[in-house]
Amino acid sequence: MMLRRRGALGGARQGRKALAVPLCALAVILGPTGAAHAGTGGLTPVDQKSPNVERSTDIYYLILGFSGLIMLLVTVPLLIFIVRYRGRGRSREVEGAQIRGNTRLELAWTALPVLILAVIAGFVFYKVPGITDLEAEASGDSRLEIKVDGRQFYWQYRYPNDVIAIDTLRVPLGQVVELEIGAPESDVNHSFWIPALGGKFDAIPGETTRTSFRADEVGTYEGQCAEFCGVQHAAMLQAVEVMPRGEFETWLANEAGAQRRGASELGERTYQGACAKCHGMAGEGLIGPPLAGNSLLQDRDALEMIVRNGQGAMPAVGEGWEDRQMDALFRHLRRNVAGGSGAEDGS
Amino acid sequence: MAVRVERPTTVVPWNRGRVSSWLTTVDHKRIGILYIVTSLVFFLAGGVLSILMRTQLATPDADVFSRDSYNQLFTMHGTTMIFLVVVPILAGFGNFLVPLMIGARDVAFPRLNALSYWLFLFGGIVLYSSWFAGGGAPQSGWTSYPPLSVYTQGNGQDLWILSLHILTLASLAGAINFIVTIHNMRTRGMTWMRIPLFVWTIEVYSILLVLVLPALSAGLTLLLLDRQAGTHFFIPSEGGNAVLYQHVFWFFGHPEVYIMILPAMGIISEVIPVFARKPIFGYKAIAISTAVIGFYSLLVWGHHMFTVGMPGYLLGFFMVSSMIIAVPTGIKIFNWVATTWRGNLIFDTAMLFALGFIVVFTIGGLSGIFLAAYPFDWQVHDTYFVVAHLHYVLFGGSMFGIFAGLYYWWPKMFGRILNERLGKVHFWLTFAGFNMAFFPQHMLGLDGMARRIYNYRDVGQWAEYNLVSTIGSYIMGLGILAFVVNVVITRKRGRRAGNDPWLADTLEWYTTSPPQPHNFDQVPYVTSARPLRDLRRRLQEARG
Repeated sequence: MMLRRRGALGGARQGRKALAVPLCALAVILGPTGAAHAGTGGLTPVDQKSPNVERSTDIYYLILGFSGLIMLLVTVPLLIFIVRYRGRGRSREVEGAQIRGNTRLELAWTALPVLILAVIAGFVFYKVPGITDLEAEASGDSRLEIKVDGRQFYWQYRYPNDVIAIDTLRVPLGQVVELEIGAPESDVNHSFWIPALGGKFDAIPGETTRTSFRADEVGTYEGQCAEFCGVQHAAMLQAVEVMPRGEFETWLANEAGAQRRGASELGERTYQGACAKCHGMAGEGLIGPPLAGNSLLQDRDALEMIVRNGQGAMPAVGEGWEDRQMDALFRHLRRNVAGGSGAEDGS
Repeated sequence: MAVRVERPTTVVPWNRGRVSSWLTTVDHKRIGILYIVTSLVFFLAGGVLSILMRTQLATPDADVFSRDSYNQLFTMHGTTMIFLVVVPILAGFGNFLVPLMIGARDVAFPRLNALSYWLFLFGGIVLYSSWFAGGGAPQSGWTSYPPLSVYTQGNGQDLWILSLHILTLASLAGAINFIVTIHNMRTRGMTWMRIPLFVWTIEVYSILLVLVLPALSAGLTLLLLDRQAGTHFFIPSEGGNAVLYQHVFWFFGHPEVYIMILPAMGIISEVIPVFARKPIFGYKAIAISTAVIGFYSLLVWGHHMFTVGMPGYLLGFFMVSSMIIAVPTGIKIFNWVATTWRGNLIFDTAMLFALGFIVVFTIGGLSGIFLAAYPFDWQVHDTYFVVAHLHYVLFGGSMFGIFAGLYYWWPKMFGRILNERLGKVHFWLTFAGFNMAFFPQHMLGLDGMARRIYNYRDVGQWAEYNLVSTIGSYIMGLGILAFVVNVVITRKRGRRAGNDPWLADTLEWYTTSPPQPHNFDQVPYVTSARPLRDLRRRLQEARG
């Protein structure tokens, strides 16, 4: 057959030479990416420290398996055809086989993806209840409900006993923690996410989203605001600290008392979360003006005005704060930031 | 004896002439070229922005750009690539090719066509003028979600809205033009099952634009009113709803993805058979799958919003509808692969980009399935996994298709063939750099790196992956540089093309390269989807 006529020897040699370029390119890609892989195992998702993440990771691996299969189904024939049917220097005039299609093949590669996708969708629906509605481990175990507020540019948490925490959330080991995620009405969108403990949910002003997790290992798990929220979006980091149950209960009870008395670290935490990201850890100024030595810090009413309502580029970080949080912040500012010297009696 | 010597009328080739003739032109070919050249200039601008971003991200805590500048970079990069590069360059291809491919003299409304181009150019200038606005360029991302985009200070955001409004009008006028042209101006014998597959994709592209651009315009208008007229459609503290914007935006935004990919798929469907020396495998399947993708693209917008707190039945609906789109997409991919079977494959640069497209676009399509499975999307939504996915689709897909189209039709547009050697350098650098830049971003996303951050924590392998990604982006940059050099060299020294250098199948190759102002002296009666091959065969038979 005309079509199958072999190319001349020269053509074959040229083909081999031409192959050198793509092989070099492949080495360029695989070398560094392979090296970068070696550390974490590449396509492995983050460690799973809660059953919901384990279940969504199962979905990931199922899809990864099918994706690998389809990738092979596409690239292996393609590569074989590229090598087998390469022109070998034949003229453009030489036509390939004039095949216009094949109904059975069309049906096959319509039906196969439909089947695969049906399996994937079915598996997702099977897994969803275990992801969205975590069962309590021991019967009669109550859930710990925590309110999460996303704000420019910090996270504020409120426990059922009104303890307030900023950015770092402490939770007990093995108990289902339910998060009610929102944002103050005058704020912007954020998204709460601790990869090891569950998917992300948006904190949107005027809306409430819910998620839950049950941490099964003591440790601190980090995350980051996952919805672009403005100039300090990248600094909006959060963490969940998982503590043994007893230790957590003690801490929570003590903290409640300390916050009522004004003896807790709430002021410092509030400063670090709500102020320091723009004004610097010691009030030295960053994208916001310096606070150290600023006379405003002596004028509680004026300061409170700005903190609660915002001013210019500064968001209303303190909108909706209770007085005890404002008191705590004011105390911290006077002691540690105002004079810069840490003088106890700043006024 | 009076001899009347008739002076031959000198026909000025359509692509020559004074600047003023370009400013006033209503020729679809010139307008197509204007679109393509303008888009390529914006492509270089957007590419520079991305290189700057990757430079900032090369190390965890680099100080190349301030936070504000970085936010401006990614906002402008995204807006540029989507609205000023991919959509208009495809409109450019459509402009140049559709009338030629269907054997028409011009588009249906040549003046409207010119208006559409000039609006596009002015829209682009308005967007780029925002660098000089009070407060600088827009900085709330190409999606510009309120309330953030309402509260953003300065006029950059307002110019962004104005620019998109202008671009919307430009695209809308262009789309209507394409639809009327394709429906009414096909030459004799060119039935719907004989129009080139690229024309099929432009038809669906145009219908989608007409259906969804009004949604974008509405959303942008409400946003502008919120910012400047004291309304509060999207401001929760005044009773507005911030999620509403996301619905409106993505009702436009997801079909927009297919608006950007379908014509690129059309280019692939034209290039592969010509360089495989075969007819396309499954013409009908590919044509119908284009329409099916277009239809389903209108039903999947919610998969961009899985994290806003939707009820379960909606999550399920949007997951299933998004997965369904994978089926017609798969049909296309399998048909392209089958087209190479038993061919006489000629690896010119256009073909390399087309084959590269199949590989990288398949990866992009597959990573889309992960994102459609909503419980897993909750993990990778708004991370670098999404950044990787969208670049595999929009660069690996759309831009690879566009480059294939540029190498394939350059001879028709300018009469000279782009240099093949530089073309291959361009392809391999781009292919290697692209995978190096974007594949590691999948891993970054899986490991929890959020997008739109100007610095990142030095945990796990983040620093290594990011460095690899940055180096990859530089290699891609070199590839693009090779293309620019190629264009400059070809302009002066390129090999002359002749009418039909690739022995192609479709009508545009029947006329001269570059085509005469009136396109064709006469158009052959079309009896199949490959009128030029039919002609060549008839000639051969006549010769015996």
